[in-house]
Amino acid sequence: MNDRNIIALSRRGFLGTALGGIAALATQPSWAASKTLNVLSHKVHQTVLGADGGDLLADWKASNDADVFWTTFDSNPLQDRLFREASLGSTDYSVGYMIDNRPTSEIAALFEPLDDYLASDPIEDFQDIAPGLVDGMTVDGKLIGIPVRHATQGLFYNEELLQEAGIDAPPTTLEELVEQARKLTFTSSAGTPVVGMVLASDLAVFPVMFARAFGGDFITGDFQLMPDKDAMVKGLTVLREMFEAGALPRSYATTRNDDQVTWLQQGRAAFTVLPFARNAQLNNPEQSKYPGKIKAVEFPISAELKGKMPMSSIVEAWAMVIPKNAADKDLAWNFIKEVSSKRATLGMALNGNGPVRVSTYAEPDLVAKNPLAEVEAAVLANARGAFPPFPEAARAQGIMLEEVQLAVLGRKPVAEAVDAIVERVTPLMPA
Amino acid sequence: MRSRSIIGIAPLLAPVHVLILSVIVLPSLYVVWLSLNESSFGQAPTFVGLQNYIDVITDPAFRSALWNTVVLVVVAVHIELALGLGMALLFAGGLPFRRFLLVAVLAPYAVSEVIAVVMWRFLFDPDVGPVTLMLQSMGLPILDWSFEPSHAMILIALLTIWLHLPFTFIILYAARLAIPSDLYEAARIDGATAWQAFKRVTLPLLGPAIVVALLFRYIFAFRLFSEVWLLTQGGPARSTEVVAVYLYQEAFSYNAFGTAAATAWIMVLASLLLGAGYVFILRRQVSANANA
Repeated sequence: MNDRNIIALSRRGFLGTALGGIAALATQPSWAASKTLNVLSHKVHQTVLGADGGDLLADWKASNDADVFWTTFDSNPLQDRLFREASLGSTDYSVGYMIDNRPTSEIAALFEPLDDYLASDPIEDFQDIAPGLVDGMTVDGKLIGIPVRHATQGLFYNEELLQEAGIDAPPTTLEELVEQARKLTFTSSAGTPVVGMVLASDLAVFPVMFARAFGGDFITGDFQLMPDKDAMVKGLTVLREMFEAGALPRSYATTRNDDQVTWLQQGRAAFTVLPFARNAQLNNPEQSKYPGKIKAVEFPISAELKGKMPMSSIVEAWAMVIPKNAADKDLAWNFIKEVSSKRATLGMALNGNGPVRVSTYAEPDLVAKNPLAEVEAAVLANARGAFPPFPEAARAQGIMLEEVQLAVLGRKPVAEAVDAIVERVTPLMPA
Repeated sequence: MRSRSIIGIAPLLAPVHVLILSVIVLPSLYVVWLSLNESSFGQAPTFVGLQNYIDVITDPAFRSALWNTVVLVVVAVHIELALGLGMALLFAGGLPFRRFLLVAVLAPYAVSEVIAVVMWRFLFDPDVGPVTLMLQSMGLPILDWSFEPSHAMILIALLTIWLHLPFTFIILYAARLAIPSDLYEAARIDGATAWQAFKRVTLPLLGPAIVVALLFRYIFAFRLFSEVWLLTQGGPARSTEVVAVYLYQEAFSYNAFGTAAATAWIMVLASLLLGAGYVFILRRQVSANANA
């Protein structure tokens, strides 16, 4: 056998093949849509838009001869990548998803103001989008993002465990919640050790909710740091006492958001605080030992404030933004318009998205599919973010969580921890 | 003639230099520049001189992270060395099922750090972890790592040792196999005990390999990140934070690129300082070999 025959490639043959290949590419065969829109998002933003037969963007893609290419990350890495892309000379990503506690003046300056787009090519019934969410994406008078998803926190409970402990109804005050959580710290009939409540220790959401139940706050929308220190002390004292009583797990300091979901699904905890949108996941028969038994209500306010003021739960919203250095801003706006339409908002809500349009909650399809739609809409009416965006917000949150952990674990008296938060966060506040 | 040949060779070497320049030298210089500026997303860098270094060094959280790192590095690296050396001698001395045991010892090095941490997190779960339940059933104290910072540090050290022991072991084992058996035969004829043979033959000849293993492990261990981040995220209340986690928080949670860059350079200097003694010994050994 002659090796030469196998590997021989003449110069003429090589040049001919190369030229033929170039010529074939030059004819631009129609392998895919002629345009590609690159989107930076969390996986959930892609998932709620559906796929294949249920693709909510199918018509849009066909009429625009465009395809959407998603690059997805977890929340913090996503924000980091988005801001990094927007800081470059140019970026291939024309649409990004941003959380509403991120856009400081400096960050907002990296993104396209959308007021002119909205005026010249309006979004369908824009007034229908919750004004509070739109305000959250308006920085220095400019609208920089179109709200697309909200995660409003509710109190989830395992109805079967409550009944087993002889509790007929979920709590209506914070004091009742604490009492029920203590009662539910037991070994269930299934032999599972149950804690009353499971909360993640790395998010400001939970201590802030407890402070708000007493009328307090961490940082208000007008940048007042802990306007009512006593309320924060009361809120953290409740958490400390729950931990002492075993109604919060001993692993509180290393408990994460995902643990909350699995603990509730496995019947290891009776209560938790999670976005209402988690309802489907918590009751998913393939994952949960208690499908259909995990329900949610509004997080209760303290007895002293019940009936005097509404509970202000925490809402986190996502918005779609266009980097100023984006390649195809017109296509990006076109995409945003489509995703913000009433049809897509309802479709996404049916897929588990927190709808940003007020009217969506009245849609019969959603009411039929989501038993929490009504209560979520009511909670959303009084909800606000955990804290407003400012340059040192993440560091302020980190300090707060550090002191809260010390207080809840009993390594620092609660009042001292609250004083330390004020002392350490004050220098970080915007002037 | 000589200069012509160098000119002829230079283009062939250039890709290596370009690669080193582009992926190590230039980014390092950029980090130096960044460490002298205040910088975040959406704002132009402002020159602040050494202020970032001062801010980092005076931050109690950094000092605590540095102390945790030094403790973990010193403890983990030296335990790894003792275990690795013992196992290398055991293997060299002859073991039944040697190939199977070799695979078992080297296996952790093939496991992704993330997978390893998730696995250990499950094994040592304070409520339902199999190891925790086993210890409880035997009436032994458990590792309460999610509550007690000292227990969390022990778990991190154990995990690090388990993950990186194969590296130290394989270097020492290879070095031990390279020692000629004649030397042990001569020692035996001279009436040396096993301890004397170890002290007078094995240890001196393993010296360079031990120093290399220690030096590499010091440098690698100082970058300790995933074990801490995935196990405790530096908590409770930053009590188990290490320098790499501190750097990550500065850069990617707080977007303070100036202080993050300063932290990176302080890390380099601290690990050099920690390994300086071993570098000195290595240099002395190299020059002694050169003069021999």
